[in-house]
Amino acid sequence: MKKLFLLLALALSLFANQSKSAIQAQILEKIFLNIEMGKEIVLWSDNKTLIQEFEKTGHFKTTDDCREATILIVEEKKNLPKKICNKAVFVLDYDLLRKIPQSFGSMFWKKGRPNIVLIEPRAKKQRITISKELEMYNEEKIW
Amino acid sequence: MVKRRELFIFFLLFLLGLFFIYTYNEITKAKEAIFERIEKHEIAKISYVLENMQQQILLEASKHPSKDLLSFFQNKKNAKMYEDMLSMMLTSDVKYSYILYKDTKEKFRFLLDASKTDKANFNQKFDVSSSEYNLLYRTKKPQIIRGQYIENLYITYLHPIMQDGKVVALFTIDFTTDIKTIILESIKPLETLFTLLAVFIVIFMSMTLMQIFHYFITRKKIFTDPLTKTFNRNYLEEISPLLNLEHYSLAMLDLDKFKIINDTYGHKAGDYVLSQASEVFKDSIRDSDILVRYGGEEFLLLINNRSKTKSDIDICERLRKNILKEHFSYDTHEINVSVSIGLHKYPYLEKNLQEAIKIADKMLYVAKRSGRNRVICYDEKASREDFSSSADISFVKEAIDEDRVICHYQPIYDFKHTRIFKYEALVRIVTRDGKIVPPLAFLPQIKETNIHYKLTQRILLLVFETFKNNNKLVSINMNFSDLINPDIEETIVRNLRDDQHLASRVTFEILESDEIDDIELFKEKINLLHSLKAKVSIDDFGSGYSNFKTIIDIEANFLKIDGSLVKNIDVNAKDFKVVKSIIHFAAQSNMQTIAEFVHSKEVYEKLLLLDIDFMQGYYISEPKNYLVESDELFKIL
Repeated sequence: MKKLFLLLALALSLFANQSKSAIQAQILEKIFLNIEMGKEIVLWSDNKTLIQEFEKTGHFKTTDDCREATILIVEEKKNLPKKICNKAVFVLDYDLLRKIPQSFGSMFWKKGRPNIVLIEPRAKKQRITISKELEMYNEEKIW
Repeated sequence: MVKRRELFIFFLLFLLGLFFIYTYNEITKAKEAIFERIEKHEIAKISYVLENMQQQILLEASKHPSKDLLSFFQNKKNAKMYEDMLSMMLTSDVKYSYILYKDTKEKFRFLLDASKTDKANFNQKFDVSSSEYNLLYRTKKPQIIRGQYIENLYITYLHPIMQDGKVVALFTIDFTTDIKTIILESIKPLETLFTLLAVFIVIFMSMTLMQIFHYFITRKKIFTDPLTKTFNRNYLEEISPLLNLEHYSLAMLDLDKFKIINDTYGHKAGDYVLSQASEVFKDSIRDSDILVRYGGEEFLLLINNRSKTKSDIDICERLRKNILKEHFSYDTHEINVSVSIGLHKYPYLEKNLQEAIKIADKMLYVAKRSGRNRVICYDEKASREDFSSSADISFVKEAIDEDRVICHYQPIYDFKHTRIFKYEALVRIVTRDGKIVPPLAFLPQIKETNIHYKLTQRILLLVFETFKNNNKLVSINMNFSDLINPDIEETIVRNLRDDQHLASRVTFEILESDEIDDIELFKEKINLLHSLKAKVSIDDFGSGYSNFKTIIDIEANFLKIDGSLVKNIDVNAKDFKVVKSIIHFAAQSNMQTIAEFVHSKEVYEKLLLLDIDFMQGYYISEPKNYLVESDELFKIL
């Protein structure tokens, strides 16, 4: 947990020098490194810049084909592939948690600060285990 | 003058530079102070409004059945009302205004969000990373978070909402202001001006420094002798008005027989010896002493007497010994040099530096006459009185006018026949109060002046008068300039031409060390003396630079061997050999030899081993104001 806090603090201090996408990618990577879903995490996103940032670090596999992905990172609901509804979704806007039922978490900017929300019941339903490191971001429901 | 002006400009620029640095620093400080005041003012305004709002909220919430803020704001009507109220704070600077609370799991959540953009839902979690949020709960005091450039947030102001002495929630106001940028932009021309001025000052300071550097280089050139790298007379003139003679002793140094080096090995060798000798001088003195090349092979040394570690006489002795043990090698020749030093311990007693130099020069002359390679110190105040009274030309002139010039006579001993061979006439001046002044006190000052010739004339007359009516022989000292003086010549001719009895008993001792630049004229004058039946002696032979051929050509009757060679003959084997060689040379050239400076029994006995003809010195008899007889000899010691 401390590590994640440190990352957030680091994100704030580094923000002046790094792009928003790079910070976003670093936070997301930290989140995905602390979740377990029984299979290899392969990322797909409608935000191509974000995918490029993931590719730079090489911690996770990325794909252009959403069918090969295990987690879809969605910035806008209209970009969510209609056919593959059973994939785990991580959204980049708090309101999308409400709009996309299979989304289990969100990383978004609120009042200029990075925020993380993980919906615990949805994660459980999708057999996603969230480590203790991320416990403080767990929420039972969407407000 | 250049130095003062340049230094003044540099100092002025330096002060100006300091002033600009100070002003720039003050402006920077003022800038920070302005930002701080603006920030405080903004926060004070916001704080005031929030305080009122807090009271209002708590008052209304207390009327609510549950009385807690969560339930109060769950009511959409209440929330709407206070959102509207809070949104009144939103301005172009204030971007977000909202109320947070901390839930039981220590998570911060929104109670109310009056922001027009990026609005949060009621009870939505809000991740905070700054410690000030928790600090506010602990201290119950407002907190300020400065976070420049994070999503344009400049300051986050946290204000507690207190209920029953506890923090139940907190106002959060995020405001962004570009006032700092505006101020920075406004003062940028001023900063640029200061930067430019600073650059100009640095350039001017550099130029002034270069000028000063150039000045000192030029000054060094002007005041340094190029050959010896010591100070020159320009420097002496420069410092003399500022020189406090009370802090110095003054020494005149002269390399002995330097002209021989020049004549024997050439001027390049002379220059080499001079530069090397000056290095030895420099190594032998201290940093506080001042060495000046006074002219030719003559140096002036100002010995600082403020440091009591070494006395002036010690320094002079050290200098003399160091020169003596140094062997200068030039073009396969090994050249040994000695130095004579005249020291004046109290130059401040003189009228000025020039007068003090004259005294030191006099001591140098004494050192030279006493056999060279020695330090003669002038520090007795009693003798000062004598010397100072006799130091000028008028003293001699008055003595001549008032008939106070006398002669003392020192016997020249013929040891083979144990009899006085002849007498050497030595000049003295009697002061008005009856003191006898030796020639060293006044001769150097009158050298080659008209008074000198008059004095020589007076001596000639005195001697002629004394010896006219007896059968004794006498020697009179003369130098080349005397010899060629028409008045002196006339005196000699007039007195000796018609008195052959007197002429045949007179010997003219011509100083070998004097510069005889016109050999033909010299020979002519010697021939004149010979024609008068007078005899000629070469005085101080071995001390100068005689051309042996000239000595032989003039057919001198006597060679008087220089005292510096004789006086150490008992202890110095080299001197013994030189004297022996001179005696041999004289014998081969039909000249008789006289050894002067016979000051001890040892010297006398050593001379007996050589085929010397005559001897003269204090061991035999000191000069007397009368003609001593044989039975008065050898009684002085």
